[in-house]
Amino acid sequence: MLEIRDLHASVAGQPILKGLNLTVKPGEVHAIMGPNGSGKSTLANVLAGRDNYEITGGEALFDGKSLADMEPEDRARLGLFLAFQYPVEIPGVSNMEFLKAALEATRAAQGKEEWDSVTLLRKAREACKQVDLDAQFLKRGVNEGFSGGEKKRNEIMQMMLMEPKLALLDETDSGLDIDALQTVAKGVNSLRSPERGIVLVTHYQRLLDYIVPDYVHVLSGGKIIKSGGKELALELEQHGYGWLTGGQNGGNDKEDQTA
Amino acid sequence: MSGENALNLPEDLKARALQNARQATPAEALAPLRADALAALEAAAFPGRKTEAWKYTSLYALTDGHLAARAEGAAPADLPVLSEYRLVIVNGRLDETHTALPEGVTLGRAARHLDGLTTPFAFYNGAALDDAVTLEVAANADVAAPVQVLHVAAGDAPSHCNVRLEVNLGSGSRLTLIEQYLARGPVLTNAVTAIRAADNAHLTHYRLQADGGDSLHIGTLLLQQTGVSRIDSYQLMAGNRLRRNDVRAFLDKSGAELNMHGVFVARERSHIDNQLCVEHRVPDCTSNQVYRGLAGEKGRAVLNGRIHIHPGAKGTLAELSNKNLLLNAGAEIDTKPELEIYNDDVKCAHGATVGQLDAMQQFYLQSRGISAAEAKRMLSLGFVNELIMGLPDQAVADWAQPWIAAELGERPVADGEAA
Ligand SMILES: Nc1ncnc2c1ncn2[C@@H]1O[C@H](COP(=O)(O)OP(=O)(O)OP(=O)(O)O)[C@@H](O)[C@H]1O
Ligand SMILES: [Mg+2]
Repeated sequence: MLEIRDLHASVAGQPILKGLNLTVKPGEVHAIMGPNGSGKSTLANVLAGRDNYEITGGEALFDGKSLADMEPEDRARLGLFLAFQYPVEIPGVSNMEFLKAALEATRAAQGKEEWDSVTLLRKAREACKQVDLDAQFLKRGVNEGFSGGEKKRNEIMQMMLMEPKLALLDETDSGLDIDALQTVAKGVNSLRSPERGIVLVTHYQRLLDYIVPDYVHVLSGGKIIKSGGKELALELEQHGYGWLTGGQNGGNDKEDQTA
Repeated sequence: MSGENALNLPEDLKARALQNARQATPAEALAPLRADALAALEAAAFPGRKTEAWKYTSLYALTDGHLAARAEGAAPADLPVLSEYRLVIVNGRLDETHTALPEGVTLGRAARHLDGLTTPFAFYNGAALDDAVTLEVAANADVAAPVQVLHVAAGDAPSHCNVRLEVNLGSGSRLTLIEQYLARGPVLTNAVTAIRAADNAHLTHYRLQADGGDSLHIGTLLLQQTGVSRIDSYQLMAGNRLRRNDVRAFLDKSGAELNMHGVFVARERSHIDNQLCVEHRVPDCTSNQVYRGLAGEKGRAVLNGRIHIHPGAKGTLAELSNKNLLLNAGAEIDTKPELEIYNDDVKCAHGATVGQLDAMQQFYLQSRGISAAEAKRMLSLGFVNELIMGLPDQAVADWAQPWIAAELGERPVADGEAA
């Protein structure tokens, strides 16, 4: 469902992804790990269609369609979902109003039945409950004044309602307390299905104890430099990235100073 | 049609205004006021390009000849009803068939001399009035239902009307006043509203100016808190060909409190100019002003917020906040707080910003399947939502919500204009 071949991408003119390959099939869970600044969020943002994140070479196909010139909303309507590393605060727009607009747009595009406001509210409350978020959060401005962990849970809550085909979770585990980590993992696991692909970006092997991946990849210097099974995460936890990157930090900043 | 000459516009407007005023045949009750106002008009100069207080607002539109004719059009049939109690004023004259007032409020047809008016248009208003409406709220009257005063102006050709409303709240009285302006056609509404509040009076005031299009509005709102009173004023304004609001508040008795909230939206080629001036003349009064402005396409909005704290006005608390949002590069908003403080013992805070839609917020919404246009609309609504949600009367809130939603809807992009 996701085919990334020799992907090159720049952020604001600066090359960050430099020949990345990744294939995600329905039903698979992939974990992407890698040093700070290696391009993990860049990959997620490129796939979601953020402005100024430009594909300069190679291709990214979602269900056979090229993502290169697609508007972000069209990607979401095709079933792509990004849980942001830093969810955005939108004061004045209530969470509920936001969910309503998002679900109306995506469900209609996907030919799913429309939810009336009673159904929507019920579903939203259920989703809140599953991620242990008080239903009061539906009335608040989107992420407005939410704590770090509440923001992450709000992302997962949205994901549960939107039932995407492909979910990209960018460090959803960062900033979560131990209980919240389990709650979020339970939420993600409940979405595991033979039709759905999940890509987890994480720094911590701990998350992978709860959400067991089929594949683990190491992203460094804008490329996947190693792939393996779930045992790769344990190895990384023990030895760090040095043995893979040859002592380089794998981030983009150092390498690019010569560019 | 007799237009005015653009080159000598200030002189031409004045000559026309004086001529109209001298020919007016006011009712006897209005005669004393008229003499005062005529004298003030004779001494006044109409604003030109170099007049500081009119820096951002050109009167060029008036070269169409609005002052040369009185508005004579008929009121539309479907007038908005926001309360069972209302007055309808059509082209400056009370239409008595609609009048319904609650107990404790009496109607008069006079006008008094007002101190504190500044614009030549306000003087002209007094000098050429055909009619005037005064509402007296009896002492200790606790009027539960709102009183809606609908100012209708209608005409097919450039023309104008002078409308005047005075409201006097007796001591201990309580009133909700909904002033609503509705113009149809190329008509200039030249308005003066004066409100006086005695001790322990509490007024909730709405000023709804949703009449857009080719109409024009030049108005003064005068708030005179002669008693220890409280006024909460909510002002909702859409841009039209020319909208100019001078709001002047006098806090004249210690303990008086004024809260003003405003939302203004200038879309397409419309214009809104807000000139606010709060005069703290005695100690220990409080004023709080929160205005939010939006402009899109080639819309233009202005806010000048003057707070004048006089030498004796110790213990003053005064705040002004004006945040503005530009929906695209062709729009413009000019905002300026202007503080004049003549003693040290005051707490005065002000802030004014002009920003654009946040790209990250927009991406976040779009990443959830929401279209770019809908995301823009949601964000601009979100920008004013707090003020709209804060409207205390249900009837007004029910009117305001669809109004603001429509006002912030998508507009066609004009030729050669960046989105
Ligand atoms: N707008 C930008 N302009 C220039 N460089 C940018 C911009 N955004 C990101 N970068 C750079 O791109 C590189 C990759 O950043 P990215 O956020 O993808 O890293 P990451 O792998 O997600 O790191 P982390 O683990 O810290 O989240 C970094 O060096 C970063 O500084
Ligand atoms: Mg990141």
